[in-house]
Amino acid sequence: MTTKEKLKQILVEDLNLEDITPEEIGDDEPLFGEGLGLDSLDAVELVVLVQKHFGVEIKDMEEGRPALQSVTTLANFIDNNRE
Amino acid sequence: MNRLTCPVAIQGLGCVGGFGCGIDDFCHALVAGSCAPTLSSEQHADGLAYGPAYLAQTDTLTDFVAKRSLRRLDHYARMALLGGCLALEDAGIAGEQREKVGVMVASGYGASTTTFSFLDSVLDDGDHCASPTNFSNSVHNVAAAYLSMQLGMLGPNLTISQFEMSMSSALCNAVCWLQQGRVDTVLVGGVDEHCPVLNYCYQRYFATVDGGQTSAKIEPFVFDRQTAIPGEGAGFLVLSADPDKARYGMIDGVDVGHMRQPTWSADDLLLVGADGHCNCGQWYESIADHHQNHRLASCTPVYGSQPTGQAFDLIAAALMINDQRLYGHTTGHTTMADSDTIDSVTSLKVAADGQYGAVHMVKGI
Repeated sequence: MTTKEKLKQILVEDLNLEDITPEEIGDDEPLFGEGLGLDSLDAVELVVLVQKHFGVEIKDMEEGRPALQSVTTLANFIDNNRE
Repeated sequence: MNRLTCPVAIQGLGCVGGFGCGIDDFCHALVAGSCAPTLSSEQHADGLAYGPAYLAQTDTLTDFVAKRSLRRLDHYARMALLGGCLALEDAGIAGEQREKVGVMVASGYGASTTTFSFLDSVLDDGDHCASPTNFSNSVHNVAAAYLSMQLGMLGPNLTISQFEMSMSSALCNAVCWLQQGRVDTVLVGGVDEHCPVLNYCYQRYFATVDGGQTSAKIEPFVFDRQTAIPGEGAGFLVLSADPDKARYGMIDGVDVGHMRQPTWSADDLLLVGADGHCNCGQWYESIADHHQNHRLASCTPVYGSQPTGQAFDLIAAALMINDQRLYGHTTGHTTMADSDTIDSVTSLKVAADGQYGAVHMVKGI
């Protein structure tokens, strides 16, 4: 399973997005606002989930803001920071 | 009994539990006298525990709230939200009429499943990986918070946890809000949740009282033997300061005290929260022993043993007054002839240490 596929599965299952499947999430679809409709509590949850599932820490807003734009940006951040 | 100078009107009722969803399901179960518990199994560190429990389903919540809005709500909050929605619907209070509605929730255990899940995640993955959503859902006030946010109730919001006395204490405070004029209406109710840890505790600490066997049914008037079966659910009442809105009678007295100095009247029909816990049974037995003419009834076999079970007793009492019908299990000399009327009911919940919560309900003022 690729990082993107795993991320989409996490988004649906751990953020309880019951009305959408992982396959329906676009790689470049915005995670927040008009896109998937996630909010600030989801952002904090995502930071924890990324650390738990991938062992990658998003340390602060400076790192988090560009990384949490879409599945593609988050997957790239994870792949670039994995040990 | 601490009688209210201004009795409060019961405008609406709503409930969900092992008996089903809504007042009709509750009434059917009351007429039947009991409902069948579900046998749930849970894997525990020292083996598999099987325990019967009265479990609630909340599927119909999507009739009231959009599915997407429910994604963060756990079972505890969903039960409360469904109970509240049903009560507001029964009271006929639409969305735009909720500006001065207060929310008062009683809970003995709180969101127990999420609380233990959160603690497990800290133990398994460390505190840096603890879920913030699980944490926010583990606080007792989460049910009341979701009620206010999802249903647009802008009045004060409070959760009270005092184990078996939670519902009486919540009612005391709800009445204060109405009498102070802080709100026109209060949505007040109790919610408690069954969980794997509770299932284990019932098997570990209570089932062995009777030779290691779990009782097949709650026997409210068997006081010397453990027959408790855990339950879960939510029961809500809509209370109003306006006596013209008394669709189900009025509450004219609320008291929290100790059984050494009881204040409730021996003349009333007593709806007792005797739920098969023999450590509380002695207090209920003392009523039966010392007041031979007391009329006693109990509805616990319908909703199960839970700290805020008194919420369901208050709904049953309101229905008894409204329907002029005696519901639940009764002691031998508690009967109702065609000519009898139910003008008042006292709901009585007693804790193991003898503390009690009593609520006096009347047909009309």
